[in-house]
Amino acid sequence: MAVDSSAETDTRQTLAPRIGSELRQATRPEGESGDGRVLEIRDLTIDFASVDGRVRILNGVSMMARKGEVVGIVGESGSGKTTLGLAILGLLDSPPANIVSGSVTFEGRDLLKLRPAEMEMIHGTGINMVFQEPLDSLNPVYTVETQIGEALKVQRKRQDPPVTQATEGETKGLITDLLRNLCIDKPEEVLERYPHELSGGMRQRVAISISTIEKPRLMISDEPTTGLDAYVQNRILGMFSAARKAGETLLYITHDLTIASQICDRIYIMYAGRVMEAGQTRGVLQEPLHPYTSTLVASVPQGYEDAPPLSVQLGEPPDLRNLPGGCKFNPRCPYAKDVCRETEPKLEEVFAGRYAACWRVDKELGRFS
Amino acid sequence: MGDLVEIENLTVAFRSKRREGLFRSGPSLKALDDVSLTIGENETFGLTGETGSGKSTLAKVLVGLYRPTSGTVRFLGREIDYKSRKDIAYLRQNVGIVFQDPVRSLNPSLTVKDVITEALIAAKSVPKKDYDERINFITKLVGVTKDLLPRRPRELSGGQRQRISLARALVVPKKLLVLDEPTSALDVSIQAQVLNTLKRLKSELNMSYLFITHDINVIKYVSHRLGVLFYGRLVEVGDTRTVDTVPKHPYTQSLISHVLTLKKVGLQETVVSEHRPAPSGCRYRIVCPSAFERCAAVPEWVNLGDGHLVSCFLYDHTSQKESQALLPTPAAMSGDPRAPKEPS
Repeated sequence: MAVDSSAETDTRQTLAPRIGSELRQATRPEGESGDGRVLEIRDLTIDFASVDGRVRILNGVSMMARKGEVVGIVGESGSGKTTLGLAILGLLDSPPANIVSGSVTFEGRDLLKLRPAEMEMIHGTGINMVFQEPLDSLNPVYTVETQIGEALKVQRKRQDPPVTQATEGETKGLITDLLRNLCIDKPEEVLERYPHELSGGMRQRVAISISTIEKPRLMISDEPTTGLDAYVQNRILGMFSAARKAGETLLYITHDLTIASQICDRIYIMYAGRVMEAGQTRGVLQEPLHPYTSTLVASVPQGYEDAPPLSVQLGEPPDLRNLPGGCKFNPRCPYAKDVCRETEPKLEEVFAGRYAACWRVDKELGRFS
Repeated sequence: MGDLVEIENLTVAFRSKRREGLFRSGPSLKALDDVSLTIGENETFGLTGETGSGKSTLAKVLVGLYRPTSGTVRFLGREIDYKSRKDIAYLRQNVGIVFQDPVRSLNPSLTVKDVITEALIAAKSVPKKDYDERINFITKLVGVTKDLLPRRPRELSGGQRQRISLARALVVPKKLLVLDEPTSALDVSIQAQVLNTLKRLKSELNMSYLFITHDINVIKYVSHRLGVLFYGRLVEVGDTRTVDTVPKHPYTQSLISHVLTLKKVGLQETVVSEHRPAPSGCRYRIVCPSAFERCAAVPEWVNLGDGHLVSCFLYDHTSQKESQALLPTPAAMSGDPRAPKEPS
């Protein structure tokens, strides 16, 4: 963390254009801010009613995603990242959930104010979500073919102008092609199976293909590769990059920094229902401003058996029912001072495109001090 | 470093549930096929492979939960007879295990203290009056604070639960600890803490680890030696650094190249299709880019020096004539039962 100041500003200046040029290849040319925003969340605060009283799961979360961008939401258990995804889709049951304040704007409309029937029209083809546990999102009594076919029907019906429904043979052809793209051998056999007959990685790929066949304009994926091995992980991530190339916007929820570093253009680091740091992925992971981000980066095992212990601070994930005063990370933070225990820092822009919520980040110097 | 565990030609076969008729059971599936390896004292042996490669099967054989179909397991030179209760008890006295899922592997109705005490009762070798002392000692070592002892697993976080699994496995000292994906259900910062604890414990308690995970970054960080499994067959074994930097088996090469790291940028464009194991010969030959005729036979181990072993014909430079003699006749390759069996 303690880098001499001249070196720090140098990297900052050299880093910025480098990231810019790389991203321009990956996404569309940079427009003015506010332009091309598919999703914009402002000050979203959500409470859950529980036996211990009201628990605040999200606290003033703001974020946005531009068209064709892959935005990562990175955090550990209890950081509120899944709740955020569900809130965007309007899938939170109320009660127990209660949206206290904030707005979720998707293509100019505030999703929180839509009627259920209007929201339903957005589900699937507008916004779609892939969940962590694919077994829960697939219907156990229908075959793979029926389930993907249903999604395809919805997609065709909603197109403007409407496209005629595919014939049975056509549907089958489209689905087998899709599964083959996901590196599934013998898709014809897989089509006739039921979800419980598939392996975990296969199920996840089926769930993803249901989402992609609907061609949503915004795809939210919640830890889609957790617990899968490197191969399947790569295949699934490859799928997402293909979808992004087709102009889809992707919100990628994960706790795995290595994955985030591969596919995300920008990331938001969340802790205890708050955004702690946000910015271009490369910048955030290579030069973290917030001590929590540094902890996450230091947690990734590197080197061999003889490498020194990983430099992480002890401490458990935050207990949302019982959060400390001031900055929520202060009990685990090695740099906490008095102000950190008293007042909570706000997420502020440190330099262009980079935000952090930390008292020890000096805005004038644009770095941690 | 003496060898603590010697596994020779271990095969574990399961009968498929799908029956082929009323009286005909289905084909059997080899979860482990002719696996030989050793684990030295105070060594961490890392075992990796994809889902379904047989990693967990090996773990379960080592604690006596599965019985080998054939092959031998020797623990401190003593050959384990899996039909003898005495031998299984001996194995369990010396080998502890920590499972992947910290929720399902702890009894929800017991307090933390009960969970750990159960292990002491089962061991039978510890007098009752020493229980408290043992529990105090081990909980301090694995980093479980005293206030957690009267709680129940559901009140604890994943990291705490995994520490309790560790305490339970080690409250009676063990020679070998089998860790089956111990950190893959944990958050990254908690995973790092548990890995640090594991490394410290090993030096303090003088034991060996068999560390099983599909996460190459983790396995590199913890293990001295590394073994790579592909559909039940061990394809490469060697010093972790060597296997990681100069992988020899085409499967290992592809596995290592698919590992995501913070430094690596850009996705590896995956062209491999679903990994289907070959029914005979080298299991990897269907997807292997460098497969050739000889791969239809089961490759012998090739020693590349310094304990780096690879099971691949690419490195088998015994002269073609010699190997021709060793190779089964073409009839055997096509599965003709009349053909002479391949010499082992």
